[in-house]
Amino acid sequence: MFKYILKRIGISILILLGVSVILYTLLRCMPTDYIEQQIIALAGSGVTVTEEYVQAMYRAYGLDGTIIQGYFRWLGNIARLEFGTSFINHRPVLQEIFSADKIGTSFFVALVSTIFEFMIAIPLGITAATHQYSFRDYLVTVLVLMGISLPSFFFGQMLKNIFAIKLGWFPVSGVKDPSLGAEASQAVILVDYLRHMFLPILTVVILSIGSRMRMTRTNMLEVLNADYIRTARAKGLNESKVIYKHAFRNTMIPLVTGLAGLIPSLFSGAMITESVFDLTGIGSYALNAMQVADIPVVMTYNMFLAVLSVTGVLLADLMYAVVDPRVKLA
Amino acid sequence: MGVKDLLNRLKQNKEDKSEAKSHYLTGKEVREIAKANAKEMRRLEKEKRRKVPQEEFMSQMKDDNNILEIEDLHSYFFTDQGVVKAVNGVTFSIPVNSTVGVVGESGCGKSVTAMSVMRLLQGPTGQIVSGSIRFKAYDYKRDQDGKFVPIYEKDENGEVVQEFDPKTKKNVPKISGYEKVEAVYDIAKMPIHEMYRLRGRQISMVFQEPMTSLNPVFTIGNQLDEVVLLHIPGSTKESAKKRSIEMLNMVGIAMPERVYASYPHELSGGMRQRVMIAMALACEPRLIIADEPTTALDVTIQAQVLDLFNDLKTKINGSILLITHDLGVIAEMADYVVVMYAGRIIEQGTALEIFRNPLHPYTQGLQKSKPTMKSSSDTLYNIPGNVPNPINMPNHCYFKERCRSCIDKCSGEYPCMHQVSPTHFVACHLYESKED
Repeated sequence: MFKYILKRIGISILILLGVSVILYTLLRCMPTDYIEQQIIALAGSGVTVTEEYVQAMYRAYGLDGTIIQGYFRWLGNIARLEFGTSFINHRPVLQEIFSADKIGTSFFVALVSTIFEFMIAIPLGITAATHQYSFRDYLVTVLVLMGISLPSFFFGQMLKNIFAIKLGWFPVSGVKDPSLGAEASQAVILVDYLRHMFLPILTVVILSIGSRMRMTRTNMLEVLNADYIRTARAKGLNESKVIYKHAFRNTMIPLVTGLAGLIPSLFSGAMITESVFDLTGIGSYALNAMQVADIPVVMTYNMFLAVLSVTGVLLADLMYAVVDPRVKLA
Repeated sequence: MGVKDLLNRLKQNKEDKSEAKSHYLTGKEVREIAKANAKEMRRLEKEKRRKVPQEEFMSQMKDDNNILEIEDLHSYFFTDQGVVKAVNGVTFSIPVNSTVGVVGESGCGKSVTAMSVMRLLQGPTGQIVSGSIRFKAYDYKRDQDGKFVPIYEKDENGEVVQEFDPKTKKNVPKISGYEKVEAVYDIAKMPIHEMYRLRGRQISMVFQEPMTSLNPVFTIGNQLDEVVLLHIPGSTKESAKKRSIEMLNMVGIAMPERVYASYPHELSGGMRQRVMIAMALACEPRLIIADEPTTALDVTIQAQVLDLFNDLKTKINGSILLITHDLGVIAEMADYVVVMYAGRIIEQGTALEIFRNPLHPYTQGLQKSKPTMKSSSDTLYNIPGNVPNPINMPNHCYFKERCRSCIDKCSGEYPCMHQVSPTHFVACHLYESKED
């Protein structure tokens, strides 16, 4: 087991190197870069820009030289754990990304909505499967498919329009009520935060339930037709024991391992939903950094996700061995 | 050669096509079938779930020597192509302490009959439509409070030896530790939730596929204990484990402790089938249904498993309903044989009668298609043709198209059962005159 994990970590490092090469190359191949945008802005405001100044700018930002040179410079910095500073505001990248209002907000939204997604989708999938082709099955299927089919920018706006603007139950956007002063108590601040988070979380949950529910339903149906379920019934177990003990454990295998694969999505942020509700999450921040070609931020953010993905896959494989006795890792 | 041939071939093609066309259903027909099916399935599913007093499904045996009497059983599958009458009026009975073998080729309704007895037909498409399945159960007796009555063993002085104390759970409870009472249930009329206490306790089943019949994520021990915990009142984890290991020993597993702790994938097919048999026998059922128990096993293991069944029958004093298409197995095991074809019984009798004096042309064909050491011919005999399409069966003998000794009368109504000896019955027009 220990040897297996070591081997997998070794492979993971190779994968991450490959990912970083592709990412860096793509970023440097973008049709525009940060310096160009700055120069254009300067020229636009009537300043004459000399060729020497441009060269100096490129040097200052470390973008002179070829892509290969640039990549190895970046790699060397990473090896020394120097992640660089953001091009935009010159603050250290790590501080920028791992701040409570950026990754914290995204993580909170993602975590809470994932929990709700599982709590709602799994029971729905099970009832749909155990009452296959019944009215209940069709109703659940139609509702969740409607959820999948709605685009998040449209559905988010709809929710905002109904619950925030028309009914006024929830705040329209942002994470904090500006009228709350510093003297507000912890509890009031928390309630305010949760009220702000409600609509984004609702949007993400409704949009994501569908696929999870369909997956549960399919797995459950497959398991319910298995021979060992017939054996369980033939033993004299009642239907709920058959479903929740014998069938559920087997249905859970793909779901639990899928859980580990969700780790990166917990931190990646929901770009569109975040911009609809004006949350300063990591998703919208990364989108902005991408648009201005802020290479250190984009690289660090994407590499962070790559590390999480690789870890998630490794965890998923380890989880398999935990939930399915037939799987032996070697 | 030439034009004439071509024309002939074209004509042939056309005929083939028109014949094939009759198998297709128009959209309207499909909708009508679906509508009728949905209505019928809903009615039968409701029937399964209803709550009724016990008297509704209590019954009386016709012959007190029988443990199971199946009478005019109809089990249908409501498919989108039409109603498949998988079991179409089957009547036979299983005497106490005997083995009844059901033979027939694939798709003739053997397994569906067995599943009907267990009420395990996969709903909502598979349903028992009519008929009765009377089963003489040996249920725990209950006192006025609805509690089980424990039996206390007495020693020679008449003093009660506390064999099992349900309160302290000190002594291990046994199946024999409670008073029991005989009751006859009509399984076909029982609601499903009433079936739970019969399944695994009074009637248990061994399935065809040992490789997939055990749950892969639970240990053998866990799955065996479950039966004991479920059906023996007052059992504890320790008593269940003790019983499970005892059962594993009984079915001839060498290292019961180790097998108890292993997962199904760690065992061979023969071992798994033994585990299945141990599971089926854990609560000393009165009837074991073995649905092709040896089909998936290799020949040496087959013999062992069959010996096991024969031993156990005497040990637990039960009856066996053995379903197989292997006549050799039937010859070795069965006291009575039921031959099924296309959902109906075509011949039944004692094993000796069926083997010495097969009457129905189908039974004769089955016998002939059995490989023997003595036969001089190189090729194995086979009955020409296939089982007819189970939807919209014609009202004449279903075997007519494949029968060698067909007579004029065969185009007429479906033959009824004719008695040739006290125990031997056959459904064939050939033997009608003998009765008159």
